Formats: sequence, structure tokens, C-alpha cells
Amino acid sequence: MDEVLSRDSAAVEQLPAEIFKPKPARAAPPSTLGVQGWVRQNMFSSIPNALVTVLGIWIVYAFFDTILTWAVGNAVWEAENRRQCLDLVGRSGACWPGVIAWIPNLIYGLYPKDQVWRINLAGVILLLWALPLWLPRVQSKVQIGLSLVLLFPLLASYLFLGGEKGVIWSALIALGLAGFLWTLLTAATETISGLSFGRYAVAAIGFGGDNDPARRNGQIAALLALYVVALIAVQAMSLSFVATRAWGGLFLTLVISGIGIAFSLPAGIVLALGRRSRMPLISMLSTTFIELFRSVPLITILFTFNTMLPLFLPVGVEVNQLLRAIVAVCLFSSAYMAEVIRGGLQAIPRGQYEAASAMGLGFWQSTGLVIMPQALKIMIPTIVGNFIGLFKDTTLVSIVGLFDLLSMSRAVGEDTRWLGLFLEPFFFITMIYFVVCFTMSQYSLNLEQRLSAGERR
Amino acid sequence: MTDAVRGEPPVEMIGVNKWFGAFHVLKDIDLRVREGERIVVCGPSGSGKSTMIRCINQLERHQEGTIRVHGRAYGRDLRENDAIRREIGMVFQSFNLFPHLSVLDNCTFALTWVKHLPKKEAEDRAMEMLTRVRIPEQAGKYPLQLSGGQQQRVAIARALCAQPKIMLFDEPTSSLDPEMINEVLDAMVELAESGMTMIVVTHEMGFARKVADRVIFMDQGEIVEEAPPAQFFDAPRFDRTRLFLSQVL
Amino acid sequence: MALLDSPAPAGSGARLMAVLNNATVRSVVYQALTLACVVLLFWYLISNTIENMSQRGMSAGFDFLGVSAGFGIGFTLIPYREGDTYLRVFMVGIANTMLVAVVAIVLSTVLGLIVGLARLSNNWVIRNVARWYIEVLRNTPLLLQIIAWYFGVFTLLPRPRDSIGWVDSIFLNNRGLYLPAPVIADGFGTVLAAAVLGLAGAFAWARFARKERENSGRIRPVVLPVLALLVLPPLLATLLAGAPVSWDMPQLRGFNFVGGLNIPPSFCALIIALSIYTSCFIGENVRSGVQSVSRGQTEAARALGVPPGRTMRSIILPQALRVIIPPLISQYLNVTKNSSLAIAIGFPDLVSVWMNTSLNQSGRAIPIVAMTMGFYCLVSLAVSLAMNRYNRSILIRER
Repeated sequence: MDEVLSRDSAAVEQLPAEIFKPKPARAAPPSTLGVQGWVRQNMFSSIPNALVTVLGIWIVYAFFDTILTWAVGNAVWEAENRRQCLDLVGRSGACWPGVIAWIPNLIYGLYPKDQVWRINLAGVILLLWALPLWLPRVQSKVQIGLSLVLLFPLLASYLFLGGEKGVIWSALIALGLAGFLWTLLTAATETISGLSFGRYAVAAIGFGGDNDPARRNGQIAALLALYVVALIAVQAMSLSFVATRAWGGLFLTLVISGIGIAFSLPAGIVLALGRRSRMPLISMLSTTFIELFRSVPLITILFTFNTMLPLFLPVGVEVNQLLRAIVAVCLFSSAYMAEVIRGGLQAIPRGQYEAASAMGLGFWQSTGLVIMPQALKIMIPTIVGNFIGLFKDTTLVSIVGLFDLLSMSRAVGEDTRWLGLFLEPFFFITMIYFVVCFTMSQYSLNLEQRLSAGERR
Repeated sequence: MTDAVRGEPPVEMIGVNKWFGAFHVLKDIDLRVREGERIVVCGPSGSGKSTMIRCINQLERHQEGTIRVHGRAYGRDLRENDAIRREIGMVFQSFNLFPHLSVLDNCTFALTWVKHLPKKEAEDRAMEMLTRVRIPEQAGKYPLQLSGGQQQRVAIARALCAQPKIMLFDEPTSSLDPEMINEVLDAMVELAESGMTMIVVTHEMGFARKVADRVIFMDQGEIVEEAPPAQFFDAPRFDRTRLFLSQVL
Repeated sequence: MALLDSPAPAGSGARLMAVLNNATVRSVVYQALTLACVVLLFWYLISNTIENMSQRGMSAGFDFLGVSAGFGIGFTLIPYREGDTYLRVFMVGIANTMLVAVVAIVLSTVLGLIVGLARLSNNWVIRNVARWYIEVLRNTPLLLQIIAWYFGVFTLLPRPRDSIGWVDSIFLNNRGLYLPAPVIADGFGTVLAAAVLGLAGAFAWARFARKERENSGRIRPVVLPVLALLVLPPLLATLLAGAPVSWDMPQLRGFNFVGGLNIPPSFCALIIALSIYTSCFIGENVRSGVQSVSRGQTEAARALGVPPGRTMRSIILPQALRVIIPPLISQYLNVTKNSSLAIAIGFPDLVSVWMNTSLNQSGRAIPIVAMTMGFYCLVSLAVSLAMNRYNRSILIRER
């Protein structure tokens, strides 16, 4: 065969070749191209298809017509009470003044009006704290992320609760404040010079020269100075006490789901590792916990903790309802998170484990440095999906007597001025839930696409 | 029907044009296949060769031109199109066996639901075809239990069961490991020797030289050159063909 | 490696380290520590609980189950009177929970199938209607949907007097949905017998069609004859036997309806919300299941000349079902768990009558919590066993 082929190529050389000129591409027939072609192929490709299209358009039209007529067209925007609304348009239009009057309560619950700034401040701090995570020039993103999850709750809990603060409590709040200040300063210095705050401070003072231990001491001193500043600031702060009974609305919903999210991720990792452990006792305990909490409805867990937690603790210890609900939500969501993370760990190819142990890494090193980062990365979409589920599930706390966004919206219709006004507040909070959940799910979808694109490259 | 068919070429393409969206994939394709003729289609990837043979059994619809099979043209009548298509067997690059059916059931599926044969008869014919591709002993297994080469031979047997008059092969060996290519090619050579009309898209130039009556070279959606293998390989007319041959040989 | 494994230098400290680094020893130590922590935690919790309970005069026994509960339940599937025992209340709760679960599972499967197929449609409008249906409904909390249906729709319906009626037999008002209730009269046996005969006939026909196909290759229609055999005989028997089933029609008497079958608004709201919410997830399952079957399968069937309907039934569906069924079953489990949200609108399901009313009345927190949890765990366990069996059966067929 080879011989034959080589003779061929010799022959090829001998003959003069004609030049192949490809025909120019023609435009596709208009019926398959452009808007017309697209509409035809996707909506009217056959008679049944066309009928279905018409039906679909009619459904969409009827739906939006009904909704918009009610919510906008016939809606009443100014009224003193529901009676006036009903006199004006009856039930054909929405009665928005009730919702508008209740917006502060829907967002902050019964939190004292003059103290609401504390919640807003915490919100601003949260945004500022998280912002550096999206800044391109900031390098210490892991540290900032960790400080956000671990230290922000300390600061926020004081802002929300206020009241007397003992020595330990003050020290912890100061730690939160220091973490916030450090994040801001590091974000600033890294954007300017590429150095983290500690190094920048050392360099700015010209401290230590090229002596390594001295430089490290300098950094520690800078951080300590920061902490002292925070401590002084915390001592100077004095906020009045707001009982958790007054917490409510969107604020409470965000607090519960935020704590649930922050708790469930590390707890889920521990449980997932426990379930995969080769030690039979640990694996059995983790599995029992996970399966127990996953097989019963959240509401039964909430009820259980509501009735049992006071029994579990020493006589005389009072646990407020919020804390009972939070404990239930945290344990529930960790069990679900554990299964998500276990799925991620299973998706990591064996070769990764083998490579890590071949490098001489121990269990904790290989898990923490090699396996877990990869697993968390592929699991981001599912984890976000879990967060969405948790955010929606926080509505259940309304059943055990907490005033979250959902129960606040029901309270509107029980207000004597707006008696029976249910649909409008439901519509309003549906929008809130939808916007939050949909944004999260689209963000995770986007992330998923970017990650898989990174894999393909 | 066979009487009406006699004299008409098995496959005839006249001025066929096809676009994917705005992309012009097939440009004015004219092709006449004679009874019992074995045609090998080659060309660089993206040249439209797969699309062309997929148009022949209307897995892809063309937008301009006529495609006739034994004198019957594809048109708007879906039942007629199905009837025309039954004359044609096809083997795919990725086998496309039905993984939830056993090898035997894969082969009898069309016989039961299209040709309405009794079970016994269908199984007999399936076994006959499996014997032809030399894997009767695998009849009870499931496709995923077989090697790639065996799967592709099952796919050939499955297509043959329907007793097609024309066989299309869309890169049948491209997703096989090298040591399995020959077992599939052998089955195809045997089929060619039995006088089947075949159109084969492949990069196996040895097969083309040995079996083909005519080799077609495609580039950028058109047929650049068609010639008997001796002439095609020894004295290609066009520079584009020579470049291609120097790359694949 | 050799370097690390070299014998440790003498000295008790180093030897201790060597022992501690031994994998087996380490594993035992870790487990012992964990066990100690868990035992300590439980001992702490249990001792606190015992003390708390003795202070409050609570008891943990199951003896209360035989005691009369003494409260009424608005809706019961199985007979229940106010004087019945707590055990009966538990049964009523389970029956109601299962009723909600079964009805919602059937409805959500049908709806989910429609939504999923719409999502796969090659019609742009239908595809997008289905997509936004799913996006909107699964991104809002289920509890909000249940409450919105209940307070936003069913309690706002007109009073019984101004009911929304349909051919004078179905009425919808703020007390719920009123349907004609079938009343069995003499001669019902004939109808029953006809139905059984029809069923047998349907089986026989399906068998005959298969045999015929295998023997002569002739394809006989199956779906329509089977449907006809199931529906026609009982219908004919009903006509011939002179209406052995009479209908108890709901009628307006004074301020309310009497007679007929009354479905309370809370049940309606719960079922509608639960079915719609779950249909989104089922729809997505269906879509991804069908999409998981490669295009090549359809093309291969098409190249063999197999008609599209047959391709769908014999090629696509069997393969898609393997992908669809596992998540579908976990959705069914979710429906069962989510039915516990009934408590928010006062429908007496297990959690509502047992964990709430009974617990508050009897104060027996521990047995009641344990029984409720036990029920849900049992259901989960049964379902996961069934699922494992199913997964294994797939594996056997494939490899």
C-alpha cells in the first residue's frame, strides 16, 4: 500500500493542477432567514403549531391583561382605608395605599422607628464588606470572605440587639468592627499598591527594613492598633436594647436565612466529611443526623425545637422564640447542605485524591487544599439553589409565631383600617421573594456557564 | 413498485442547496448514483459531506433543489417521505444503538413496527444479518456491553434487517479505536461485494481505493471533484484535492 | 517515603508520637472522643429534660393514647367522633396527610408532564410560557402560595347564597367546593361486574394484540380499544340497570348547602398550591430527562422509518424515564413533607392535629414528637428502599 501511495504523490507532482474556486455563499431564502424566517420556524411551522401559537399568545395576553388591569389600570393609589378603595373601584382594582402604609412594617417589622437606622447601617456595612470580593485588584478575597462570614454577625448582632455589653461581649463586637475596618483598609491599599493593609502600614512607616521577623511584628502591631481603635469606638457606642420580639418583616427573614446560610456551609462540610469517613462510628453518626433531618418536614423540626429546646436546657434558662427557630433552621439546612457537598466530593475524580496523597499531603491538607476547593467550585450552582430553598423556607417561621415578611403581610389584612386586604400585600411580597430568588438563580446559572467555559478552555 | 423503480437511479440530487441559519452548507449539489454503485465521499471537516448524505434520507431538510430516490422525490407529504426513506439504511458515526434494547431487539425493532413481520420471522432475519456481520453470539447482550467495533457491526446489521436498497454510512469508523476499524471495514467490504448501492462518508482512503467505484471530494459545501479511485488518487485535477490528499495520505 | 518510615529515634516521647501517628490508633482515639462527646451531650440534654419535666409535672409515657381526645376535627377521611382516643386522632392525621399527598401527587404529575412537554415544544411561545410559569412559581415560597390561595382566593369567594354554580350541581363558595356525591343503590353490583369484565377484556385485548403482533406481525390498535373497554361496559350497565347510582345533589338550604360532597376551602387551596408548585419541579425533571436522550436515538429511529409516535413510546420514553423517575420519586416525597404546611390554613393534617392540637391539649411533647418524626422517617425509608431497588434493577438490565 505504502508503495502505491508514494507512486501516487509522484504522479500528483507531474500534472498541472486546476485551481479550485469555491462558489460564493448565497443568502438563504428569505423564508428561512431573519425575523420572518425565525417567526415562521418557531411559531407557524405548521397549522397545529400556528394554532398553538395563537392560543399561547392569547393566554399571555389574558394573563397580563387581568394582572395589569387589577394592579395598575383600576388600582387606587390614595385612600384613607379599605372602605374608600372598595367604594371607588370595588374589587376590580388593587388597593395600594394599605400596602404603602405598611411598607415600613413589612421591611422592619415592629422595630422601633427611631432605631431603624441601625438595621440600615448594618445593611450598608454588609454591602461595603462584600464589595471588595468583586473588585478585580483585591487579592485577599479569601480572608475578606472569611471575615465577612465569621465577624460580621458579631457586629450586626450588637447593632440589632443593642443593650448592655459586658467585657467579653465588647471585645467580640470590637473584633467585628476591626474586621470591617481591616477589610476596607485592605481593599483600599491593595487597589492602590497591591499590598495588604498590614504590609502597607509597615512599608509606609518604613519599619523593620528587610528584617523578616521585625516586619511581621510590625504587621501584628498594625492589626493590634486597629483592634484598639475598634475597641475604643465600641466602648463609645451605646445602643438601646431592642427585644427580638420586635424584630420582623424582611429584616427578620434576612437575619434567619443569613444565619442559616452562614452556619450550614461549614456544618455541611463537616457532616459530609463525617459521612464519607472510614471511621464507622463517625460515619454512622453523621449519616443518622443527615437522614433524620432530611426525612422530616421543616415544620416538624420547628415545632420540635419550639417545644423541646426549653426542656433540653437547664431549668430556668429562657430561650426566646427567634433563637429556637434559628437553631432548627440551622440544623435543617446543614443536613441538606451536607448532601450537596457530598455530591460535590463524589464528583471529584479518584486521581485527585491519589495525586494529593502521592504528594505526601495528609487528610486535612489534601481535603482542605486540593479536594474541597474543587468540590465547592463545581457545587456552587447547587449550593446557591440550596440557599434559595432556605430563603423560601424561612417563611415557615411564621407558623411558630415569628413576624417574618409573610406574617407581616398577613397582618395588613388584620389591621382595622385595611381589614381584609390580603391580595395586595401577597402580591407585593411575592414580587420581593421572586426578585431575590430569581436573581440568585440567574446569577448561579451565569456562574455555572462561566465555570464550564473555563473547563472547556 | 420495483417495476416502477427499475431504470430510475437509486439516488439523484439536482441543484440541492441548504443553509443552517445564514450559513450556506450545501451549494448546488448535483449527484447521480447508479444501481449498485459504491461511492466514497471525503473532504475536510465542515465541508458538508455529512449534511449531504443526511439530506439523502431527509434527516436534514434541504431548502432548494430536488432529491429523488428511485425516482420518487421528497416533498411536503410526510408519509411519502417516510415511505421513500424506508428504501435507505443508515449507519451513524456514534452507532446510535438503542441502549435499553438487546442486540436482537435492536435488529427486530423496525421489522416489528415498520415492516410488521411476525416475531419468529423478524428474529430469524435479525440472526441472519447478525451472522453476516459475524456476531450472532452477541444477540442476547445489550449494546453497552459490546466493544465499539461490535456495536458498529450491530448497527450495520440493524440497518440491513429492513432490507434497504441503498446504504448510507456517516463516518462509520471515526469514533472507533484503531484495532476495531478493520472488523467494521471488513463487514462493509463484504456488503459492497454483495452488490449493495452504498454511499460512504469516510477518511479511510484504503477502503476508498479498494471498494469505491467513484470518489467524491467536497469542500466548502460543494463537490469539487468526482472520479474513479485510480484517477482520483493518482491524478487529481484540482489543487484543493491535492492539498487534501497530501494531508490525509 | 523510605526517609519517613525510618525507625523513630529512641525516647518515650518519640515512641508516643509514633503510636499516635499510627492510623488505627488514631481512628480509635477519634471515634472514642466523638462517642464521648455525643454521650455527654445526650446525657446533658436528657438529664435537663427529666428535671424540667418533673418540675412542670409532665410525663413521657404513651398511656395517653387510649384517652379520649375530646376535640373535633373539621375534615376526616376516616370516621372520627369527638370522644375518640388520641390514637384515633393520630390515625386521622395520617389518613388526611396521605390523602393530600396522593391527590397532589396525581395532579402535580399530570401538570408537570404538560409543563415539561411544553418546555420542550419547538414553538417559541409555548416554550416561553412554560418557562416563565416555572420560573415564577418555583421562585416564590410554597407557604406564601398556599396562604395566598386560601386567604386571597377561597375565603374571598361569595357566600353560599351567591355561589358560583355550574349546571346546578357543582357549587363554589367561601365554604368550599360542593360536588354531587354518588349514592350507591340496588343494581350497583351489575355495574361493578361490568367494570370488572371490561377490565378483564382490556387485559385480554392487550395480550391478544401482542400475540397477534408476534405471530402474524399485524399491528392492532391498543390504546383506544382498551380505553373503550374500560369505560363503555360500566356505562352501558348503568343505563341498562336503570341508574343504580344516584347522585346526592348539594342544595341551598337557608344560609348553607346541604347534601353533596363538601371539599373544604383549606383542602382546595392546599391541593392547588401544592400541585402547581410541585409541577414546576416535575416539569423540569421531565424536560431534562427527555433532553438526556441523545438526538442520535431519534435520528436512528427516523432512519429506520419508525413513525414518530412509536419512537416516542418505545425509544425516547423508556430511556427518559430512567432519568426522570429517581428525582420524580424524591419530588413525591417532598409533596408528602410539604403537605405539613396545611397547618398554616387550618387543614387538619398530621402535623396540625397531632403536633399542634394534641400536643397542646395533652402536653405529652416527647411521645408526640417521636411519633410524628417516626411516621415521616418511615415514609422516607420506605421510599428510599423502593428507589434503591429501582436503581439496581436498571443497572442489571444495562450491564
